Amino acid sequence: MELNITEVIHRYQEPLSVDAAVSALGDDSVLVAGGTWVMRAPLRDEDNAQAFVSLAKIPELQAVSADNTSFHLGALATHHTLAAKAEQLPEMSALAQAAGQSASPAIRRAATLGGNICTQGFAAADLVPALIALNAVVELQSASGTTVLNVEEYIQTRGDRPSVEILTHVHIPRLPGRSAHARGLLRQAGEYPVAIASVYLELDRIDQIAALRIAVGAVEAVPRRWRALEDALIGQQFSTQSISVLAQSLMDGFTPRDGFDAQGWYRLRVLPQLVAQAFADLASQMERPT
Amino acid sequence: MSVNVTINGKTRSFAGDPRTSLLDTLRNDFRLTGAKDVCGEGFCGACIVYVDGAPRASCLLPIGGLDGMAITTIEGIGDVDTLNPVQQAFIEFDVVQCGMCFPGMVMTLTHYLDTNPRPSRRDVKAALTGNICRCTGYERIIDAVMSLHNNTPETVGDI
Repeated sequence: MELNITEVIHRYQEPLSVDAAVSALGDDSVLVAGGTWVMRAPLRDEDNAQAFVSLAKIPELQAVSADNTSFHLGALATHHTLAAKAEQLPEMSALAQAAGQSASPAIRRAATLGGNICTQGFAAADLVPALIALNAVVELQSASGTTVLNVEEYIQTRGDRPSVEILTHVHIPRLPGRSAHARGLLRQAGEYPVAIASVYLELDRIDQIAALRIAVGAVEAVPRRWRALEDALIGQQFSTQSISVLAQSLMDGFTPRDGFDAQGWYRLRVLPQLVAQAFADLASQMERPT
Repeated sequence: MSVNVTINGKTRSFAGDPRTSLLDTLRNDFRLTGAKDVCGEGFCGACIVYVDGAPRASCLLPIGGLDGMAITTIEGIGDVDTLNPVQQAFIEFDVVQCGMCFPGMVMTLTHYLDTNPRPSRRDVKAALTGNICRCTGYERIIDAVMSLHNNTPETVGDI
């Protein structure tokens, strides 16, 4: 099928700056990062007639770097890149695991950080709970300027955000603790997790829990912290014993989602085991020489 | 305005809707039907091709984003007279059944072995995470891969 130049330009744009991308967005267009969600719109019976505004040619969105205080990530960083970079930073283990175990190798070369955070219909995004546990912030750009939000706040409110807004960067504080990511699958790999637990942990000098963030993904429609469990564990002696029993006793606040892959009750059933698995990983990390 | 790509070493031009997937473009416009249209959502791996040398699910790539890039399909990595080593091993181990997944299997494993020449069986299974076969049960596929570069006692015995 031959199209004239105007049609082609309208249907697929590759702006060279974030400002140009913001200007190109409209009601009849959709942002494309890695394309792994947008290209499947017909399979979800969603509109696929929108023009594509691709972010692929904006160099600043590809950059990944770390300094002494933060890990700086461009929104177009792929899972493949994230896994490789995060592996070099011990406290980012949850992110390295989330990025390095999700989907499959070919998809990890395409799927992006920004896409994982911004896709509202994707409850089982692996990166999001890891970012919540690591207390990341997101940087958003719109015509009115730049906004910085904690990633959990962004995830909870993203449906109400301005439609012409682009997530450009994620910044993760470099903290002295450790982190781990546990994902429950029905098979060994290659599918969406039915539940995810990501944990960030800091101990004091006598091995009591000084700081803790436990993020849960895939269980409810939107990932979030499990504050009831955090509150029960802060100040306690770190132990991998009985963690699943404690977690099991604090699940009243969840509203699990039913899906084709698993019913809600099953997601809740495996969640305490995933928290225990993440704690065991943290214990293992702390035993390794630094 | 056209999208210009190199496919299996030849310069090709596409002037259709740039949102079209690379897979549809290969199969419908360039008559390269080796990459298979199966799940259409990146899970099965039957459509994997190389984009600038890296395996990608072609069903999820809009052709408009590939201008100037080099595409290699299953048709470009060997021919009937000079099979790729993975293809040859698949024949020798009588691996292929229905054949739908094998172009993607060959593409994934060829790239993987280029950078991981001595994998364990576990490594090969992990590399095949995104390539689903519904006929074989995978074991003969892995036997074929293990025959290529790494038939040493420590790797053959690995699970």
